[in-house]
Amino acid sequence: MTAQTSRNGRKASARALIAAGLAIAVAVPAVAHHSFSVFDMTTQKELEGDVVEFQWTNPHTFLWIDVKGADGKTTKWGLEGMSPNFLGRRGWTKHTFNPGDHLKVVIAPLKSGEPGGTLMRATLSDGTEMVNFGRGPGA
Amino acid sequence: MRFDRSTIFVGVAACAAALGAQAQSPQAARSPQGDTYESIAKLPDWSGLWEPAGGGGGGARPTQPELTPPYAAKAAEYRAKQQSGEIQDGPAANCVPNGMPSVMTQPYPLEILFTPGKVTIVIEAYSQWRQIFTDGRKHPEDPDLTFNGHSIGHWEGDTLVVDTVGFTTDTALGNMAMKHSDKMHIVERMKLVEGDRLQIETTIDDKEALAKPWVSTRLYGRHRDWTLSEYVCQQNNRNYTTEDGKAGINLKHGDE
Repeated sequence: MTAQTSRNGRKASARALIAAGLAIAVAVPAVAHHSFSVFDMTTQKELEGDVVEFQWTNPHTFLWIDVKGADGKTTKWGLEGMSPNFLGRRGWTKHTFNPGDHLKVVIAPLKSGEPGGTLMRATLSDGTEMVNFGRGPGA
Repeated sequence: MRFDRSTIFVGVAACAAALGAQAQSPQAARSPQGDTYESIAKLPDWSGLWEPAGGGGGGARPTQPELTPPYAAKAAEYRAKQQSGEIQDGPAANCVPNGMPSVMTQPYPLEILFTPGKVTIVIEAYSQWRQIFTDGRKHPEDPDLTFNGHSIGHWEGDTLVVDTVGFTTDTALGNMAMKHSDKMHIVERMKLVEGDRLQIETTIDDKEALAKPWVSTRLYGRHRDWTLSEYVCQQNNRNYTTEDGKAGINLKHGDE
């Protein structure tokens, strides 16, 4: 267990379990295109920011969001998602996220520390939760 | 007696027909072969899209191949490099398709089309196709080596039997650790089974790479209301693998 999860107690343990479940769930898409070796699939990171662009493209959708840090500096994050054929059959469209939408997202971050990751789920300001992979609404 | 061209042609055609009849079982000879549109109407209804893993996760558990010692050694070496992080990803991250047999088990659907003398499998992943000649032709004697191979097929009742040879060794047996040789030969038996599923039993033999034929059975779930989606992998591929197997991601966005 990482220091991050042990600090947060029971909730974090539940999250670790969810993360483990997701790691299994992503095994199938990994076969289609790439391994998840660049992402830290054992960590879930939460971010809040505004949509710059949602790219409805193959082999992955990409969600770009501006995230304001504690220092007031804005960083653009690139978040890889499942492909349009996969998501389109699960209720997503190219309009699921629009520029300017305020989002809370949960991601598995890049191991490199660059501002990017693989998107797990996103919550829109009206409370709608879109699950990129794993179980739940929009999955 | 003087032989003109047409006499020779008829003679060759008769021999070919005799050979063809010999190669197929008596049941195959009686089955509709989809050689005309009237014959296609007698084939089973395989319309709709077919999702691997039974379309809900109920697919048969795949078996593992038994490799020959040299291929097992290569696989062990590759896996050790994966474990140590020396090899992080394979060519698919650069949009190189998987080839047979993996092309049939991608997490995206297939569509199977019948036209006279040919069955075409449209594969959504990487926007690919396989063509299976059901017009009685044989494999070429020296086939080009390709990702999906050269396929011929015939119907035995409601089962389509597909025989495929001619594979490039750029591809692998399911994952990059397990390679095959250019002698790989694949026979697939495809038929509808209970629960509106398509069952494909795949037998792979490869005298160089496999200690014994590798048999696995998979189920595909039918989605009559799905349509194929485009999958052009090069459109916005930000993932990459270097020559030596290191994986990375390109986060350049817009005019940056």
